[in-house]
Amino acid sequence: MKRVLSGLLLIVMAATLIVSCGGKGPAKGVEFVMNNGAEPQTLDPSKIQGVPEHKIYMALFEGLVGYDPKTSLATPGVAESWTVSPDGTQVTFKLRKTTWSDGTKITAQTVVDSWLRTLDPATASEYAYMAGMVVKGANEFNAGEAGKEAVQIRALDDYTFQVDLLGPMPYAVDMMAHYTFAILPMHVINAKGEDWIKVENIVGNGPFKLAEWKPQESLTVVPNDKYWDAKTVKLSKITFLPIDDNLTAYNKFKAGEVDWAHGIPLSLVDEIKLRPDYQVAPQVATYYYLFNVTRKPFDDVRVRKALTMALDMQELVDKVTKGGQLATSSMVPAMEGYTPAKGPTFNVEEARKLLAEAGFPDGKGFPKTPILYNTSDGHKIIAEWVQESWKKNLGIEVTLLNKEWKTFLDTRSNAHDFDIARAGWVGDYLDPNTFLDMFIIGSGNNDGLYANPEYDALVKKAGTMKAGPERMATLQAAEALLIAKDQAVIPFYHYVEQDLIDTTKWDGWYANPLGVHDWKYIGPKK
Amino acid sequence: MPSIDKNNDRATNEFNQYVKPVSLWADAWKRLRRNKMAVLGMWIVAIYMVVTFGAALLPFKSYTEQEMLHINLPPSFKPAGVVALGRLEERKVELEAAITRSGRADLKQDLTRIENEIIQLKGEVDTDPKHKRVYILGTDYLGRDMLARTIYGGQISIMIGLIGTLTAAMIGIVLGSLGGYLGGWVDNLIGRFVDLMYSLPYMLVVIIIMSMLPTGSNSIFVLYIAIAMISWLTISRVVRGQIISLKNSEFVEAARSMGAGSGRIIFRHLLPNSLGIIIIYSTLQFPSFIMNESFLSFLGLGVSAPRASWGTLVSEGVQGMQLYPWRLLVPAVSMTVFLFAMNFLGDGLRDALDPQSKNRN
Amino acid sequence: MSRFIVRRFLSVIPTLFIIVTLSFFLIRLAPGGPFSGEKKLPPEIMANIMRKYHMDEPLVKQYFRYMGDVLQFDLGPSYRYKDQTVNDLIGNAFPVSVMLGTMALGTALLLGTIVGITSALKQNKWQDYAAMSVAVLGISVPAFVVGPILMLIFALKLKWLPTSGWLSSRAGALTLIMPIITLMMPYFAYIARMSRGSLIEVMRSDYVRTARAKGLKESVVIRKHVLKGAMLPIVTYLGPAFSGIITGSVVVEQIFVIPGIGRIFVQSALNRDYTVIMGDVIVYSIILIAANFVVDILYGLLDPRISYK
Repeated sequence: MKRVLSGLLLIVMAATLIVSCGGKGPAKGVEFVMNNGAEPQTLDPSKIQGVPEHKIYMALFEGLVGYDPKTSLATPGVAESWTVSPDGTQVTFKLRKTTWSDGTKITAQTVVDSWLRTLDPATASEYAYMAGMVVKGANEFNAGEAGKEAVQIRALDDYTFQVDLLGPMPYAVDMMAHYTFAILPMHVINAKGEDWIKVENIVGNGPFKLAEWKPQESLTVVPNDKYWDAKTVKLSKITFLPIDDNLTAYNKFKAGEVDWAHGIPLSLVDEIKLRPDYQVAPQVATYYYLFNVTRKPFDDVRVRKALTMALDMQELVDKVTKGGQLATSSMVPAMEGYTPAKGPTFNVEEARKLLAEAGFPDGKGFPKTPILYNTSDGHKIIAEWVQESWKKNLGIEVTLLNKEWKTFLDTRSNAHDFDIARAGWVGDYLDPNTFLDMFIIGSGNNDGLYANPEYDALVKKAGTMKAGPERMATLQAAEALLIAKDQAVIPFYHYVEQDLIDTTKWDGWYANPLGVHDWKYIGPKK
Repeated sequence: MPSIDKNNDRATNEFNQYVKPVSLWADAWKRLRRNKMAVLGMWIVAIYMVVTFGAALLPFKSYTEQEMLHINLPPSFKPAGVVALGRLEERKVELEAAITRSGRADLKQDLTRIENEIIQLKGEVDTDPKHKRVYILGTDYLGRDMLARTIYGGQISIMIGLIGTLTAAMIGIVLGSLGGYLGGWVDNLIGRFVDLMYSLPYMLVVIIIMSMLPTGSNSIFVLYIAIAMISWLTISRVVRGQIISLKNSEFVEAARSMGAGSGRIIFRHLLPNSLGIIIIYSTLQFPSFIMNESFLSFLGLGVSAPRASWGTLVSEGVQGMQLYPWRLLVPAVSMTVFLFAMNFLGDGLRDALDPQSKNRN
Repeated sequence: MSRFIVRRFLSVIPTLFIIVTLSFFLIRLAPGGPFSGEKKLPPEIMANIMRKYHMDEPLVKQYFRYMGDVLQFDLGPSYRYKDQTVNDLIGNAFPVSVMLGTMALGTALLLGTIVGITSALKQNKWQDYAAMSVAVLGISVPAFVVGPILMLIFALKLKWLPTSGWLSSRAGALTLIMPIITLMMPYFAYIARMSRGSLIEVMRSDYVRTARAKGLKESVVIRKHVLKGAMLPIVTYLGPAFSGIITGSVVVEQIFVIPGIGRIFVQSALNRDYTVIMGDVIVYSIILIAANFVVDILYGLLDPRISYK
């Protein structure tokens, strides 16, 4: 027995030696390992739709504009500069002379063809509606109602690209940093078809190029020497790991095997918070509960208000979530130029009064309502806290009902078969509109079936207005209707980005509102 | 092989001597009582049953009541207020040390909050009766009593374990022995059915069953069905294997030549001889049902929060074990002790019911 | 025997066919689809996607299209991992899981039988109680507890092993140790306890008594007669265990970041990635049926009393 064991051990050790000798090449430059949190679903920018994919996209591709590492607003990318027409409905981009990683030129026509590929119904891009929200004619083409000539984009010459907008949309250029507006290597796509994304075929124009992709294991990129700003690039290799277990990711970070871990294990937040390498930054995202306003007794605004005012959100973020989340009574997080409308805040007496007015004094006769949430430790803890708070403060009993993600979505968003449900919304771009237009009548994301024509009118009006305080005031009025007057939702808190990266060791990484970090700026601290 | 001679109503042993007529069960019980480990196991199981199922009648704390000042308190015999104050003071020191290292604004906010809480708690600790509570096994992430949560968690986990084990044994024995004894197309049919049940995507089958129920009906009954559905598969194959190997042995041939029918052969001869393996396998399956329950609760089946089972308590505890080891240890140790007791009891039963060991101990 | 093998083999094909057909229609009944998310897709976009994957066709037509592809060994595209086909996904993950599973099951079998035999020979002595306690512990403490504890001790505290990863990562074969231990624990426990029980039973049986009475040496009796007879329940167990350990290692794969097939099994079901689920079902049923088939044949070899008529 002993001999067998020691024999086994010897074999293992020998194997390790061989592998470790073979694996280590001469080290050149600085290698960086990040936990990306999940296996990328695709590398094809036309089909991307998630955060892990976006992080890889940022290394491999670059659109007309990029993201500023501190403010997340548009910075020059393939476009050197741009001008917006006086009425705000047309943008003209001046392109720089740059090439793909295989040396092929990028021209304005490439941009036109790329956008058309993403919008083509045959590509079946999930995020094509982002372009449809700003580009004139994009929706018609994507829905198959018109040909590609309907899309109002054009190459004026080899290096001038022009796009017509649906209105004076102030956030349009910032939005164009998004992967929906990616520039694609059309010469490779035309030659290789769907296989263009394979390691041996793929060509990019980002600061890095794909070196290796082992699905479910790791993805590595190395610098792209054809990149126009190659001299800024500091890292010699980035490895993306798809670890979805937060505890493992954290342990890996602690052991020094990972340089940047996105997300943390909730249960260890007390320990992690004390670490100097823990980075927390407000995110444009809101955690909230939805009422199904068509169901009794939640069709009564007094009930909705009473339930809202019985929850002490400050206690929630201090004692329960503890990660630095920002307690709120608004739907929209604070943004440049926008002050969110305030909803009612914690006030037990007022809440009890409202509940009594609605016909449930001391919670008597209140139906045993289930709170619907998707299975996750974090959501469960919050729901348990809500349940106990309502019991303590209002005397009402609610039950908790968890479902796995897809069943949950089907129940909440398709069947609308819930009374109160948990929801979270991450802004797609830095504008209040991304949080407000989902509550208009008929919107696919209006899961609580909120219906207020006055609200719809305000949101639609803001869509036609030019950037400036007036437009923001209109949006704020809409939010006030949604929250302060109608209480269609209970906002809990604004999410925060939680990252583990030692910024005394790494430069060029800044906590920012969209949590987007351009790889070309990241490098070792001198 | 004890066989009761119907004509003169007297039992004989294998050497055809008359023995005192004791029933199989009374005899097994006698031998079980002689096995010290089994008796110990039995007592532990009995105590668990009384405590968990009688919890509502016993003076335990509420398993739902939250106390924000008592979050994550370690096990202690001291009053909660004192323990909480100690934790806050520790936290204050930690925060101050962290602030000197990084000076982040959120840490400073935390420090102010902790300082206020210390003042608040110092004022309340001697007057407010809630701070006089004693949490001998500590509290969880919402300041709930771990002891109460573990005891109430035992209800669902023990039930699931028992029901799973019993249905598994019953269905498994019937189908396994039928297939093994009859062989041929019956065996083939049962075997392929088992393959089918193994191969269907179980998780989706459960999701589908749940989606077909009207909303709000989150009955424990469905959970039992979901567990029972697959519990018997492996055991039926094990039983079948035993039966196949025994059915051509001498004593079965003998019984057959004496004109015993299939039913009698299976139930009087083949199964008693396979009982050992069946009992061992069943007790081994017990923990997997408990874990299966925590997986099914992920899909939304079974008890819903704030009620927790042992499985969910353990899986929550693992996540924070570096900081709050009691949150893992309390449910895990409770569960393991129970499973040990079940195994000793199972071993004792096996020995007691073993026809070969009759009258020989 | 050979007639049995032929008959058994012939029953495999209709079984597979029924499993695949039933699963194909069954999984569509689950609520939600592969393309539902927190942000609901506009209907026009959904229509484009449905058209692309032929999901706008009647289900029966989709079924025949799918079966046609399967017969050509094409399991279709993954709806979630859009750059990969189901063949790619399973082809990458399967060898990893087979390797991990075989090593874990092999270790479990080796240690389990050794412990089981020791226990049986020292029945009701301290060695027996100690060994069986280890086994009960092995089955009582689930993998999601064992894994993180091992990682905490051996990777973070002692720093002997890398936290996670798979062979090709820098740490090499050392990454295998913790996953194998975690994965084998319950299987080891089953095998140890079952072999003990089965050995004790066989040692008391008539034919072993006869062998002893013939004056054979104890070691010969055990090797020649006891072990062979006692292996039967273990061999039966190995059939489902083999398919279970290969496909059911999701917890271990997740904790130790191993690109195996267990994660694909669970995630595809949760993501409603229909084609991948179907691929899993096919792979799993083939392994299971094959394993049980082998077990049935082994019966005959292990136990001369068994005959297939």
